[in-house]
Amino acid sequence: MEYSRAEQAIIWLCMSTPFEDGVRAALLRAAGDPARLIPDFEKICAAVIGSPQNRVYKSDRTSREKEAEVCLRALEKLGCFAVTAASSDYPAALQHAFRPPVVLYGMGNRALLRERKFCIVGSRILPPWAEKTGKAVAEELTERFCIVTGFAEGGDSAAIAGALPSGRLICVLPTGIDGCYPASHAGLKREVAAKGLLLTEYPPHTGVQKFSFHARNRLLAGLAEGVLVLAAGAKSGTLLTANCALDYGREVFALPHNVGAAQGVGCNELIKKGAYLCTGAEDIFAAFGMQPRARSAPKLSEGEVRVLAVLNGEGELHAALIAEKAGMPVYEAQSYLSSLELKGLAVKAGGNRYAPLSQ
Amino acid sequence: MIAKIVCYALNGLEGVPVEVETDVNRGIPAYEMVGLPDTSVKESKERVRSALKNSGLLFPMNKITINFAPADIRKEGASFDLAVAVSLLKASEQLVGAETDGTVFLGELALNGDLRPISGLLPILISAKGHGFSRFIVPAGNAREASFLGGAEIYPAASLGEVVRHLLGVQPIPPLQTQIFVPHASKKQGGADLKYVKGQPVARRALEIAVAGGHNLLLVGPPGTGKTMLARCLPTVMPDLTFEEALEITKIHSVAGTLGEEGIVTERPFRTPHHTATVVAMCGGGNRVVRPGEISLAHGGVLFLDELPEYMRSALEAMRQPLEDGKITVSRASGTITFPARFMLCASMNPCPCGNYGSADRVCTCTPAEIRRYRRKVSGPLLDRIDLQVEVDSVAYDDLSVSGKQESSAAVKERVDMARCIQRSRFEGTRVTVNAEMGEHEMEAYCALNRESDEILRAAFEKMQLSARARSRIIKVARTIADLAASEDILPAHVFEAVSYRIYDKLG
Repeated sequence: MEYSRAEQAIIWLCMSTPFEDGVRAALLRAAGDPARLIPDFEKICAAVIGSPQNRVYKSDRTSREKEAEVCLRALEKLGCFAVTAASSDYPAALQHAFRPPVVLYGMGNRALLRERKFCIVGSRILPPWAEKTGKAVAEELTERFCIVTGFAEGGDSAAIAGALPSGRLICVLPTGIDGCYPASHAGLKREVAAKGLLLTEYPPHTGVQKFSFHARNRLLAGLAEGVLVLAAGAKSGTLLTANCALDYGREVFALPHNVGAAQGVGCNELIKKGAYLCTGAEDIFAAFGMQPRARSAPKLSEGEVRVLAVLNGEGELHAALIAEKAGMPVYEAQSYLSSLELKGLAVKAGGNRYAPLSQ
Repeated sequence: MIAKIVCYALNGLEGVPVEVETDVNRGIPAYEMVGLPDTSVKESKERVRSALKNSGLLFPMNKITINFAPADIRKEGASFDLAVAVSLLKASEQLVGAETDGTVFLGELALNGDLRPISGLLPILISAKGHGFSRFIVPAGNAREASFLGGAEIYPAASLGEVVRHLLGVQPIPPLQTQIFVPHASKKQGGADLKYVKGQPVARRALEIAVAGGHNLLLVGPPGTGKTMLARCLPTVMPDLTFEEALEITKIHSVAGTLGEEGIVTERPFRTPHHTATVVAMCGGGNRVVRPGEISLAHGGVLFLDELPEYMRSALEAMRQPLEDGKITVSRASGTITFPARFMLCASMNPCPCGNYGSADRVCTCTPAEIRRYRRKVSGPLLDRIDLQVEVDSVAYDDLSVSGKQESSAAVKERVDMARCIQRSRFEGTRVTVNAEMGEHEMEAYCALNRESDEILRAAFEKMQLSARARSRIIKVARTIADLAASEDILPAHVFEAVSYRIYDKLG
């Protein structure tokens, strides 16, 4: 990977100096041209930091150049790249975000940064139907968007599962590029790196910290043109992503949940506040003025039609009640239900209950 | 004079003939036992002495030597008492004219001369009959157990005195009448019946399929929803025991000493080992005498493991091979013994540590990692061997109080018997008896899928990311469902239904 002098300077600033993000941004502003950072660092620092006791820099110019070299080699060794504010493909949309990161470390398909992006998030525990819907929506959205999501279980995993086959997927990590949280997603991380793109604002070897999830959420909202919330409890961290999105002027979508369902209170709240009510990818396409691609309806047998009619009419229901309303024995209804499930029209909701999925 | 009396020792489920040789010589009074007797056998010295005295017989005050032949196997237990006493009487010439050749003497003596029942009598009788013995004297307490063995003269005696009078011909004991085996002669399952199970249409159906095809069953559901009750109904819908099956099961239970009053097992066993059970408790073993474990005691019946993830991992893993082979080979320093262990495994577990995962009205408070950790306690290979995995509904109060008519076990059993009948004629002449036991060869012959069904399975495979083993399990279950519907071919509906009973693959 070739980096310009300006990019090298920014990477050095972020990986080798002990400053906080705000100070780094101020240093960059003071430098004007980032390429000046390495040769004139003492001068710039003096202007920004001021008081002598805060002068933590001690190196001279040659050692700074050597340090920059070391940083680049370290990145190369990890197989990742750095996108800096000076890079041509730095996502412009991030400028709206709170404290946009000066450097993003990435691994995988860098070209995805230039695509239109849409974010799908959800809490870690969510009802099966929301998970299935999230997966289906993500899959369909990849026709027009690159899907941006976190790397957690539940909602994030649903979005990853939907978007990964097409490769149009960006996962933003709460750790350094070499970390993995949760650890059980190590295999998934390799897959995403191979097919899609992993991004993080944290330099390599950074572990996970309490605040990193919240900080990561602002990037999710910042990167994308819109955010879909699959499920969120009353105090879910997912709502933070939605609130950031509202602050940055992004479109916010939410799946509607049953009244009283604890895992959906946050979603319903968002809808009350004016978020788009979303039941499928076509709602998102419509909001962005796009035409969804027409899909052929799957062929259904007579029994399946009867069961599906009951499901669509009643919503989530126990298999025995579905059977009763459709006028067939339970085991027959079960076989139709599992065929509908394979066709993506119904989902098992736990406790022998089934829920319809919108087509 | 030297006397020889035959009795039997037990090695696993096999009886081994042991000759008790007694020599009474003149000399300083002494009482020696040789031929590798265990402490419990040596103790018979005192029991025999008292029993003889209290039966009005003489204990010879001479030099007595008793030898157990063959001398290279270890003799254990109190079942040699009667043989020792009789041989002593014969050697001291108190049984002149009595015919003891070809008779097997079995029984433990009480100090007052009474005969106590012994464990493992039936396997001994069956082995001895195979060895050509046809006359037996057994404790009266074992009479019922012994009476199912036809073609032998069996004399039940209540005391040593009775035995002596019988042998001398003073007061002969009438031989036992052979009994006819009647399955379900007595109900032991605490009156479990499917008609008392409220609701649970899905689990009921799965239960029926499981029994019809001999499949293993996993019930997943919140605590207190009737998983145990459902499992207890399993033996009530299983086909009646045949006499051969009953004998084999009785042999195991006789050796373990768990045989009840009626002397033969008439109902399919239902074993519920506690989750603290060790590998030895599960599979069998022991210090010197190898005893059958829970999986052998469940032979021919149901092994119910409540709260499957709580069991010791090693105990569960040890069951994997018996689940495939239907037998367990226990190796100890004293030898290697094979017990039959063809049982139906029924397990129950909660969907997550708090039990509310997937519940309609209660919120699950577990994190995904906790749920994963909980489920990982049960290994994949074991789960793969469980063909049917169903959720048990949490029952609402209304369902409990409604006295709606529920199908009884007898009605379900009728359908199961029909399906088993189809399977019997299908597998005639092979070692396979039910669908679950089918190998690759049988599956190729009897489970041909038409194109439509094959495509469904392919779609399910991709959607649910099933393992190769899960595929053959689904086909076997579909075969059973087709049998229940008396259908020659496996139709798409059967495959779909079979797929719907693999919830664990979806939960994964």
